[in-house]
Amino acid sequence: MIEVNQVTKRFGSFVAVDNLTFAIQPGEVLGLLGENGAGKTTTMRMMATVLQPTSGDITVDGFSVSRQSMQVRRRIGLLFGGDVGLYGRLTARENISYFGMLYGMEERALSERIIQLSRTLQMEEYLDRRVSGFSRGMKQKVAIARSLVHDPAVILLDEPTTGLDVSAASVFRRLIADLRQAGKTILFSSHNMGEVEKLCDRVVIMHRGRLRFVGSIAELKQRYRLDDLDDLFMRVVGGEHDE
Amino acid sequence: MNRRQIWLVFRKEFIDLLRDRKTWIGAFVIPLVVIPLLFLLIGSSMSSVEEEARSDIPLVVLGKADQPLVEQLLAQPGTRLVQTDEPLALLEQAEVRAVLELPDDVEQKLSRGETIKLTLWYDPSNQKSAYARDVVGQAIDRYEQQVVAERLNAVGLSTRAIQPIETSVKSVASDERLTGSMLASIIPLMLVISLASGGIPAATDLVAGEKERGTLEALIATPVAPKNMLTAKLFAVMLMSGISALASLISLSSVLAFAPFGMDQVEYSLGFLNPVTIALLLVMLLLLAALFAGVELTISTMAKSFKEAQTYMTPVVFGAMVPAYMMLPLNPADVPLAYYLLPVFNGMAIFKEVFYGTVDALHALLAIASSLVYVVAAIAVAARFFQRENLLVK
Repeated sequence: MIEVNQVTKRFGSFVAVDNLTFAIQPGEVLGLLGENGAGKTTTMRMMATVLQPTSGDITVDGFSVSRQSMQVRRRIGLLFGGDVGLYGRLTARENISYFGMLYGMEERALSERIIQLSRTLQMEEYLDRRVSGFSRGMKQKVAIARSLVHDPAVILLDEPTTGLDVSAASVFRRLIADLRQAGKTILFSSHNMGEVEKLCDRVVIMHRGRLRFVGSIAELKQRYRLDDLDDLFMRVVGGEHDE
Repeated sequence: MNRRQIWLVFRKEFIDLLRDRKTWIGAFVIPLVVIPLLFLLIGSSMSSVEEEARSDIPLVVLGKADQPLVEQLLAQPGTRLVQTDEPLALLEQAEVRAVLELPDDVEQKLSRGETIKLTLWYDPSNQKSAYARDVVGQAIDRYEQQVVAERLNAVGLSTRAIQPIETSVKSVASDERLTGSMLASIIPLMLVISLASGGIPAATDLVAGEKERGTLEALIATPVAPKNMLTAKLFAVMLMSGISALASLISLSSVLAFAPFGMDQVEYSLGFLNPVTIALLLVMLLLLAALFAGVELTISTMAKSFKEAQTYMTPVVFGAMVPAYMMLPLNPADVPLAYYLLPVFNGMAIFKEVFYGTVDALHALLAIASSLVYVVAAIAVAARFFQRENLLVK
């Protein structure tokens, strides 16, 4: 479970996240939506303990990101969007294995987990090739496997389907459904509204660091009496604060 | 400190660096291949110039050529006469090596006890001409000695009458000491520069590079404490620095052992090294490597990009070169005590003492203690920067 409680993050005089409050339950997939610069990535970075909140706090399974960062890190799986951040001179297996070992996994369990993930993500054939020669989609799959290798209770995914082709995106969606079934807490940021509707139980919409909406897509449609998701999104970020 | 985490990060960094061509070129290929090649090239080029200067010495004689002095000159190996109307123009054009002007009646004047006047032109900007000046000068000296001997003989004196003092110059330096003094001038310089430059590609890649590629953020989000990450990265940079310094040491020692420049009469010997001096050499290498690694990782952490880090790293090498060059001409006995307390200077001073075989325990203690202070300070600054979120996240 993740609880975001009145969190503000400032970089000098710039307020990136302003008094944000929401929660995600185990077994729930929450979509984090917003335009570029809305504060999504900063929020995820604070959840991942990479950045510290200026005020307020976030708890992950009851552990504070400010005071118990090591306990939080053991419970999260993190995938940053855009640049997937893999070691190009290492093979896919070495990349995944390195992170598995840093999370304290035993060699045998790690090896089995890598095989299982590579089957699920259909990346067995290039598991022992160096990442530097991979396409964007192949890299994205390796990065997803790396973020899930230690079977985290909380999964933070920033633009996870960027670069994936249609079939790979479909494989990924099935994986998310399985993880939800397994009771994982999943935060998912995306620009693709259709994907968010398919995958997420609820959405949080941010605009200029502030919360604009939290609830299900059905509630969103009902509130604004619109069916088109893109129109809905524009209406929310263009209108006044609703929560 | 979690030793397993440090080992995991260090092992990954090392594998990653092993597969990086630019790191290997900087740390290994340049010291092991380029330095010996450069020395051999300079050596062979110097030898070929010298060989050419010896084998052919074209000279112009202004005056009668069939005189004993000229005959003595032409008896020198490689000398030959050139006829020309423009001797000085040919000398400037390097067509001839020297021009000697002498009177036509050298023998008559000398037999009358007079002093003859010779003029020797040469081109000091041309090495071959300078060599020809020496050859001609030596031939004239020999001829002069013959004339002096004849004149002394005529008045019933021997040449010893004008040599009241006979000096015998003897060296007290052993072959080990001579080898050490030769090594002490160039090896400490190369060691310090290799230590400073050898770790730069690794330090740049391991923080600024990782930041740029987004891998550092993923690493920070793992349950590895920043101090463990930094320790592992510090060891990796130190290892690359050490490998580079060792490669320089091996390559330079081999070059000097097989082609001892200017040491033809000396047997190459490393007898000045013993277990204590080797241990001292290694300790100082380790401390200097740690100091440079700390500074370089701090710079890499502060830099916003890989390119920016590369730019900031350049002064590190210059910073190492200044004390290295300042200490180059100094003999260990002339090194001021304060230098044993200054960073990099202290390492250079100890390297010199080791190669001269004159290690002073107090100097060694001062250098080690002061280096430890600098290393701790450099690592503390690096650790402080390494925990600043605005410097680690793009």
